[in-house]
Amino acid sequence: MAAKALLVGLGNPVLGDDAIGLVLARAVVARLAASPLPAACATLDALDVEDDCSAGGLELLAVLEGRPRVVLLDAIVTGCAPPGTLHRLTAAALPPTRHLAGPHDADLATALALGRRLGLDLPPDEAIAIFAVEIEPCREFRATLTPALERALPVLAEAVMDDLLADLAATSSPRAAR
Amino acid sequence: MGRTITIDPITRLEGHGRIEIFLDDAGGVSDCYFQIPELRGFERFVVGRAIEEVPRIVTRICGVCPASHHLAGSKAVDACFGGALAPAAVKLREAYYCAHFLHSHIAHFYALAAPDFICGPDAEPGERNILGVVARVGLEIGRQVIEARATAQEIQAVLGGRKRNVCWCVPGGVSKGLTEEERAGLRPLAVSLLEFARFSRRLFKDAVLGQSRWVEAILRGPYALAIGHMGLVDADGAVAHYDGTVRIVDCEGSEIARFAPADYARILAEHVEPWTYLKFPYLRARGWRGFVEGTDSPIYGAGPLARLNVAERMATPEAEEARQELFATLGARPSGAMLAHHWARLVEMLYAAERLVALVDDPELTSPEFRVLPDRITGEGVGIVEAMRGTLIHHYTCDEQGICTGANLIVGTTHNNAPIQMVTKKVATQLIRPGVEPDAALLDRIEMAFRAFDPCYSCATHALPGAMPLVARLHQGGRVVREIRRDA
Repeated sequence: MAAKALLVGLGNPVLGDDAIGLVLARAVVARLAASPLPAACATLDALDVEDDCSAGGLELLAVLEGRPRVVLLDAIVTGCAPPGTLHRLTAAALPPTRHLAGPHDADLATALALGRRLGLDLPPDEAIAIFAVEIEPCREFRATLTPALERALPVLAEAVMDDLLADLAATSSPRAAR
Repeated sequence: MGRTITIDPITRLEGHGRIEIFLDDAGGVSDCYFQIPELRGFERFVVGRAIEEVPRIVTRICGVCPASHHLAGSKAVDACFGGALAPAAVKLREAYYCAHFLHSHIAHFYALAAPDFICGPDAEPGERNILGVVARVGLEIGRQVIEARATAQEIQAVLGGRKRNVCWCVPGGVSKGLTEEERAGLRPLAVSLLEFARFSRRLFKDAVLGQSRWVEAILRGPYALAIGHMGLVDADGAVAHYDGTVRIVDCEGSEIARFAPADYARILAEHVEPWTYLKFPYLRARGWRGFVEGTDSPIYGAGPLARLNVAERMATPEAEEARQELFATLGARPSGAMLAHHWARLVEMLYAAERLVALVDDPELTSPEFRVLPDRITGEGVGIVEAMRGTLIHHYTCDEQGICTGANLIVGTTHNNAPIQMVTKKVATQLIRPGVEPDAALLDRIEMAFRAFDPCYSCATHALPGAMPLVARLHQGGRVVREIRRDA
């Protein structure tokens, strides 16, 4: 059986808003499970979920390996948008030096480039969707989100779910199936 | 008014750091500060929780060495419950830790150190990463690096029950033992890591020691410090990663202190400077006297080279041979040549792999007695392991119900805070002189100085810095007069 697509929540569960990737992954799964749409059920069936992932760089390669498609949910500090803003990024558009996943070893773009050069079975750039939620920098251990992120959570989960549903529709069309 | 050069953030380091270099009017370095933002509130976060939960929470302090925190925390909790521990659990934990050391040291050497040594500091910044290393040493070696990391992680998964977010240690032992079938599966994995450690040693000899400019830089560059060294040693005086007594020697090798973990606060004190949140540990008996070198310096460092400096030997044959080779080249033990941390890391890789193979063959490893139930609460415990970056101290207190009432942590990088400041300033002072316009290559060499310590200020924060990888700003009269921006 072919490997399923993977939904990954990245972050630190005890570092305040840094946990948004993990919280969002769970919220998206809960929303899909509660949805009456048949497509939501099909999407859940087509997904594996890793909702507590603190891997980055080379470590993340092992998570991505063998997956045809991956959706990464993470926190981001660009300073250019209010907290709770959803940024849609692609692996292809990531500047190579940006530390998307807080790697100690290598950033995501470098790790992906290395993995492909070494012939690992990795999803192509266009099959790696990255949703990054704008947060304020976290400097204090807390097991809760800030009110701004709590308020944004339902909208964020809806947006990610809509993308997943649209993606399923696209990949199950005759053209995509080829 | 002098100029200020700022490097921000530092590439290939966790967290965001910045170096501020103050130049005098003539263009020489008048002072140098290395600043990092620190995460706060950990103690407040754990107070009020069940003490046996704390080792499972501390793995989330940092995504880089979660197992070190888990083990140091578990040892502290064992002590809070009277210290009883199943002998098989000690060996299982140590085997796990050997695999964790290998996993981490492999990443450091190939992804963080090798770009400097194998690509060279003058290579294009875009090539000075693991891709550049693979381009030079070949795809096959790149594949072996990835495989060796996966193997080390697989061993941790077999022993600890899961690949990530370890939660295996419990008061008095571990929550899961090892079956004979699992042991049989581990052996070839451990042997393959030993082969990889041997290979890495040969690669370092050929690619680095074979080049006189590197030997010169290690031995005679501005990267040396005359400070004390700290590390765990076993009863025979050999390097110990999981358990032992703490030994500190001065820059000439005379023993300053040797103490059991519980006595750490009697020996070590922490100094606070107004320009950084991070504290500076020093030897309490000597008193804080600033960033001074010499046999009477209160400052010491930790990490791979420090561990080799304080120990009489390595406990395994090939690592011992590698240790002797290292000190024969460095000329003396202890050595203050901080770039040799990278080399010491390879000696430790060999030790961890040899030790892992020996432990996997140990009959007791599959004992069904992998936990003893604690029968008392003593209320206080200190756990010390050698983390990859240096001695890691966890100190907890709890009440008679086992509820955490206090926690104090001193992590490896904190021990190296003073040495990092000192070596950074030393290198900056030697490289930035009147009439020499600072450029990116000079700044690279300053970074090399502290990368040797593999400093880690992260707590797995996954936030994107949102800045260029390396920016140098020259300030004069309160204005930015020049900016060196390094894009990869």
